[in-house]
Amino acid sequence: MAQRILICDDAIFMRTMIADILTGAGYEVVGEAESGLQAVERYKTLKPDLVTMDIVMPDMGGIDAVRAIVAIDPDAKILMCSAMGQQQLVVEAVQAGAKDFVVKPFQPARVLEAVQRVLAG
Amino acid sequence: MTDPRRARYVALFAAESRSLLAGGRRTLAAWFDAPEERAPAEELFRVLHTIKGMAASLAFEPLVAAVHDAEEELATVRRGERVPDRPWMVALERTLDDLALRCERAVAGEDATAPAEAAASRGAARDTVVRVDLDRLDALLEDLGSLLTARQELERHAAADGFSPVARSAVAMSRRLDALQDRILDVRLAPLAEVFERLPPLVRDLARQLGKDVTVDVTGEELEVDRTILGLLPEPILHLLRNAIDHGIETPEIRKANGKRPAGRIAVQARRERDSVVVELSDDGRGVDVDAVAARARALGILDEDAELGTDGLLGVLARPGFSTAASVTEVSGRGVGLDAVVARLQSVGASVGLTTVAGKGTVFTIRLPTRLGIVRTLVAAIGDERYVMPLTHVGELVPWEPEQAQQEGGRSVIEVRGELVPVLDLRRLLLFRGAPPPRRRPAVIFEAQGVRIALLADQVHGQVDAVIQPIDRPKGMPRWITGATVLGDGRPALMLDLASVV
Repeated sequence: MAQRILICDDAIFMRTMIADILTGAGYEVVGEAESGLQAVERYKTLKPDLVTMDIVMPDMGGIDAVRAIVAIDPDAKILMCSAMGQQQLVVEAVQAGAKDFVVKPFQPARVLEAVQRVLAG
Repeated sequence: MTDPRRARYVALFAAESRSLLAGGRRTLAAWFDAPEERAPAEELFRVLHTIKGMAASLAFEPLVAAVHDAEEELATVRRGERVPDRPWMVALERTLDDLALRCERAVAGEDATAPAEAAASRGAARDTVVRVDLDRLDALLEDLGSLLTARQELERHAAADGFSPVARSAVAMSRRLDALQDRILDVRLAPLAEVFERLPPLVRDLARQLGKDVTVDVTGEELEVDRTILGLLPEPILHLLRNAIDHGIETPEIRKANGKRPAGRIAVQARRERDSVVVELSDDGRGVDVDAVAARARALGILDEDAELGTDGLLGVLARPGFSTAASVTEVSGRGVGLDAVVARLQSVGASVGLTTVAGKGTVFTIRLPTRLGIVRTLVAAIGDERYVMPLTHVGELVPWEPEQAQQEGGRSVIEVRGELVPVLDLRRLLLFRGAPPPRRRPAVIFEAQGVRIALLADQVHGQVDAVIQPIDRPKGMPRWITGATVLGDGRPALMLDLASVV
């Protein structure tokens, strides 16, 4: 069965792009969230195999969302999506419990590598 | 890039960057009133950051650099290195305007460079968004109008025997035609954003030229109206905004003295109401001086000496041709010139205009727009070879008229209709028609508008048609009650008479 992924990003543009990359490689996108709060809610109901998490989002940012999700499920597999120049935030996210990160703009091969790595880990 | 999905990403970018920047402008407008807040800085950062991410994904490099610079500027406030003051916010406002322009340019540039790639990818994937020449859309609408006219002919023949195969086919076709009409009108819809997004920079430029301090707030730009209606909007809206800034908003000194915040506020807000989109242009300036307008109207004999001028009648007086051109009125009324042209232009597409004003508090113009171009049930009348259509809503009945029936009452020609004397207007005279003489026996169209019944004499009446009314560019001197044009089923043009304005 295809592995189930939840995409969290406040831009439809980004969610569409990630979804295209992931579904193209045979993954199933089970849900999308456009804020940190929504991401936590969706995580509870959908129990995805992996979450892609944007850092800058309204309501609750990606890093706080990582903390909240890891508090619910310590084994949660979360892949951070960061922009250039956000190294500090990425370190913070990894300390909060994120497993890996990719940098925007997305290169499909890089994204898929990271997804495989996190799912295998 | 030969990714066939790119066109879809670009379309998403166009829509999302537009809505993000609109939201950013709202955030900034509110921030002006509460500069000590820090949440707006975070929100604006998120807006810029999201746009940068999208732009980078599409390799819009110059745009990425511009957004990055804006982000850095905002970061000085986020890091606490700078206290945001008004000039800094005004500069940020300009930056947002500039970024909006850059986003549009990036998208437009995509279209210019895309054809080769699009051709290459055609067949591989279908683009979900296509661009269509407006002329072709208009042609489609004209065909639709002719089809609707042809349908009426068909329905008339079919009515002779409601159970005949022809009648059944007519009903089936009629339903399809209704659906087709909806679809064609839908395709023509375009978002108000195409007009609204240019307003904030224009308002700020105008305000600067006129020495005023103004913030502007725009909402509802996602609502859609017909392209033709949209195309007519910029001019009247700009005119009203200019008036509001020039004559409505006071100078910062006067505002302070009156206990108002020094910067005037102008809002352009659109909302949907049933089949219409309502655009409200409001300012918190000094309002229209109703007494001054009334005094001027009495002096000109437009208003009876003892009559009061209520808010209802105010626009009617202000929008009278020539009235508002008087500089003296502009000075004292708090409203500028040329309102008559604005109102006429909006009415030509079936829009209505309202005005409310409170002395010292401000003025609101309410423009109610039809979202779709009008398809109006009309009566076709002829004068000589010329054809005219008039909306059936006002038409009561048709009666035959002969010169012998004409009676005079108080120096006016009247006709007796069902025991009541009704004034007669000759369409020939109204239109200054100088062709062949009229037939002896003529039809009189009895219509009622604004509580008045009038008999309008035509040469002939050619029945009813559902007409697609197109707005017209009115040459100087064209009567204001000619409000549009249509093409009849036989391909002949006809002008639309607005009976309510004839009164």
